[in-house]
Amino acid sequence: MKKQIITGLQAGAVFGIVTSFLFLIGFTGTAATLLGKPAHDYVFRLIPGLTAESYNIFNLVVFLSLMGIWAGGRGSHRQVEDANNLGKALTGATTAGALHGVIVALLAYLVGVLNLAHVQMTAYLAQLLPDAIQLFLLGKAPTEAAIWLFIILLVSGTIGGLAAFYLSKPGWRKSLLARWQGLRGKVEEQPNLQKLRSSRAFRPTVNAALLVALFVVPLGIGQYWNFTLGTVGIYVLLGLGLNIVVGLAGLLDLGYVAFFAIGSYTVALLTAPAPQHLLWNFWVALPIGIVLAALAGLLLGLPVLRMRGDYLAIVTLGFGEIIRILSRSDLLTPFNGGPKGVLDVGGPNFLNGLVSSDVSFLYLIILAVFLIIFVTRRLQNSRVGRAWEAMREDETVAGAMGINTLQHKLMAFAIGAAFAGLGGVLFASRNQFTGPEDFTLMVSINVLAVVIVGGMGSIPGVIAGAFVLKGLPEILREMEDYRVILFGVLLVVMMLIRPEGLFPSSRRKLDIGHEESPDAEKQEGAQK
Amino acid sequence: MKKPSSGPTKKPLSTYRIFQTFLGIVFSGYLLWRLYQVIFAGTDYGPDTWARFIIAGLILGSVYALIAIGYTLVYGILFMINFAHGDIVMIGAFGGYFVFEALNLIHSPTIANPNEVFLNAHPVISVFLAFVVGMGVAALSGYLLERLAYRPLRGAPRLVPLISAIGASIFLENAAQLLFGPQRRNYNNPIEITRGAGWGIPISGSTVIIPYTGVLTVVLSIIIMVGLYLLVQRTRLGRAMRAVAENKSVAALMGIDVDRIISQTFIISGALAGAAGVMWGIHLGLVYFFVGFLPGIKAFTSAVLGGIGNIPGAMLGGLFLGLVETSGPGFLGIDFQLKDVIAFSILVLVLIFRPTGILGEVLSEEKV
Repeated sequence: MKKQIITGLQAGAVFGIVTSFLFLIGFTGTAATLLGKPAHDYVFRLIPGLTAESYNIFNLVVFLSLMGIWAGGRGSHRQVEDANNLGKALTGATTAGALHGVIVALLAYLVGVLNLAHVQMTAYLAQLLPDAIQLFLLGKAPTEAAIWLFIILLVSGTIGGLAAFYLSKPGWRKSLLARWQGLRGKVEEQPNLQKLRSSRAFRPTVNAALLVALFVVPLGIGQYWNFTLGTVGIYVLLGLGLNIVVGLAGLLDLGYVAFFAIGSYTVALLTAPAPQHLLWNFWVALPIGIVLAALAGLLLGLPVLRMRGDYLAIVTLGFGEIIRILSRSDLLTPFNGGPKGVLDVGGPNFLNGLVSSDVSFLYLIILAVFLIIFVTRRLQNSRVGRAWEAMREDETVAGAMGINTLQHKLMAFAIGAAFAGLGGVLFASRNQFTGPEDFTLMVSINVLAVVIVGGMGSIPGVIAGAFVLKGLPEILREMEDYRVILFGVLLVVMMLIRPEGLFPSSRRKLDIGHEESPDAEKQEGAQK
Repeated sequence: MKKPSSGPTKKPLSTYRIFQTFLGIVFSGYLLWRLYQVIFAGTDYGPDTWARFIIAGLILGSVYALIAIGYTLVYGILFMINFAHGDIVMIGAFGGYFVFEALNLIHSPTIANPNEVFLNAHPVISVFLAFVVGMGVAALSGYLLERLAYRPLRGAPRLVPLISAIGASIFLENAAQLLFGPQRRNYNNPIEITRGAGWGIPISGSTVIIPYTGVLTVVLSIIIMVGLYLLVQRTRLGRAMRAVAENKSVAALMGIDVDRIISQTFIISGALAGAAGVMWGIHLGLVYFFVGFLPGIKAFTSAVLGGIGNIPGAMLGGLFLGLVETSGPGFLGIDFQLKDVIAFSILVLVLIFRPTGILGEVLSEEKV
């Protein structure tokens, strides 16, 4: 019993702090709106006389109950052997719910009283606008609201405990899982399906279907999705480039944006009318941008590549910042437009405007992605790719096997930089603008996150990562203010629960699985 | 284990050496020429301006030194760059800010002025409280950071905790932005140590001001650093920390609770970062969600400069970087906008020419 109460108190405290934090950053209101959208569209519209305010409150209650249920679930069963004891589970859940409720109710009471006293809280806590406070107090007076919040969280905590108890009952999950696997097995064993899969035409057909889909999709979507898909595509390019540097060769590069910037500025300065007035053709500028980025990779790589991993990270970070600061400095303003950037960057001329340029640009990006995927695949399975992976696993041994490590590192760096250069050229040309603010450290970190979240060293992983990190946030437009913070949380959580990424390469999976074993210490020593 | 500074093969090394020597000669030639320009020709600035540069540099450098020690302590034990350390500086700065704001609201009438507020009536207590709270919240967040984002990843490949640290850094910055708003806030100093006030010293016809806030910063950071040195060298905890840094498994065999020592290291480095944050606020006067990022990166640079894992090295590196940042652009005769470029270039140069830093790194054999 005592153990359960302690577990409950822990869960209650954690969730109390989390819910309070979510309120203080204004997330509760946004979540309520988000949750309430379907409810509003399908239920509330039909009930006459309901005000917008009252269903906002209803949605908030739903959101709080969900938090409460989660808290109760966490508080109810931590030890597996207790999961069979309803009394213990309920004790834990109720304790968690009570503490959760007390913390949130106290906060609500405090904020409500201060609000009634007309204390300007927004000066210190930016999200505590009177409307937000009113919503959080469920439109009631502070004392009443505190009691209601306490009751809601207590009850939902208990419900959460019950739910967790019944859901975790042995057999329930297992039978569902077994049924699912049985179903899958049955489908897989279908002779027709097997024949289809093993037939020679299967893979080409699927690929062709994908190709057709990729050809058709840009025509049908609007401008907004066109733009978003283009951004995702460019991030796939960048991710594939960094994948070679980080995922294959194992060199941590935090200044990857520098090469992106070099590609962008090259095409901008060569084709734009403003600072240089060169007005070259896009197709001439494209290879120049790629080559210049690769050269920059070589030049940076030459001195820094013999450093240890972390030093390499921080030096490349420094290099990226140097490029950004230089690009916005007064020193270079006459040359590259300084902080204002370069306007009217030229683009390719498609069939004299037969296809609208937005759509055809998306085709260009998709084409570039295919090209890069092809190059990466060939590289990965070549002698060079194997050398990279050997180097990543153990540099000393790789050197002893006759691999010229410096040369291969340089190659990885230069090829990665070239891909970034291509991405930069396409990015600047599509946006018809480039400026220093496009090249912040966050871009490097985003690309790194694409590679890591997707799974290092794996091409499908990088594509999935780009969709998750760049495409998903566009779908959740309502969450706009909270995108970046969610991104941070996602990175940490991803590292905690699935460090190998969404679609890990088979090698990498082996790797990480191995290193979590007890003799990880030895592994780490050997990694140097 | 192989030293990282020496190349794996013979042949590229020689071309590399030639490249390196050539770069070194060109660079030192330029430096000598600028030295001549500055000292003998006196073309750009008079001695009074140089005195200002150096004073500002020392103050900035002592703040960097405090932050750099935090990086060095953590790197010495865990071999990871605590990317979120700069954001802990920001948390400390916010802690001090809220203490000053709160004390500014408390009424504390004195005989001279019946409308006096606590902040101005008791400046020493106020500053003390600001430091205590700033260091406290920063130490707490350092502890939580280690507990939630780093501890579960112990033994994972090195990239994994680094990514987690980057995520934590993004989280902390945006949480602060959402909580407190994106605007820059002015630190409300006690009237005794208003920013800009200080002792004036006449140098070559104009007065150079040594600000009170700067003196406070330098003196306090020296006290803290001496305290830390004593802690690491003389106490049981310090001995345990050094033992864990040397070899975790042997330290555990000697009866040291490694996880606890790591937690305590994070608490100490968080407290130092918090102190640095409050100093940053008191001296430079601005606090906002992004305030810790650049100082954090630069402090890491100073830790590498001094030799990572080396506490005196971090102090020296911090002071050096502070001086370079304020007087470097003047010395090299380039735009002041580019001061960060100089700081990062020095990092790159140091890592190329002397990867172990000025005083040499202090890392255990097995890890290097």
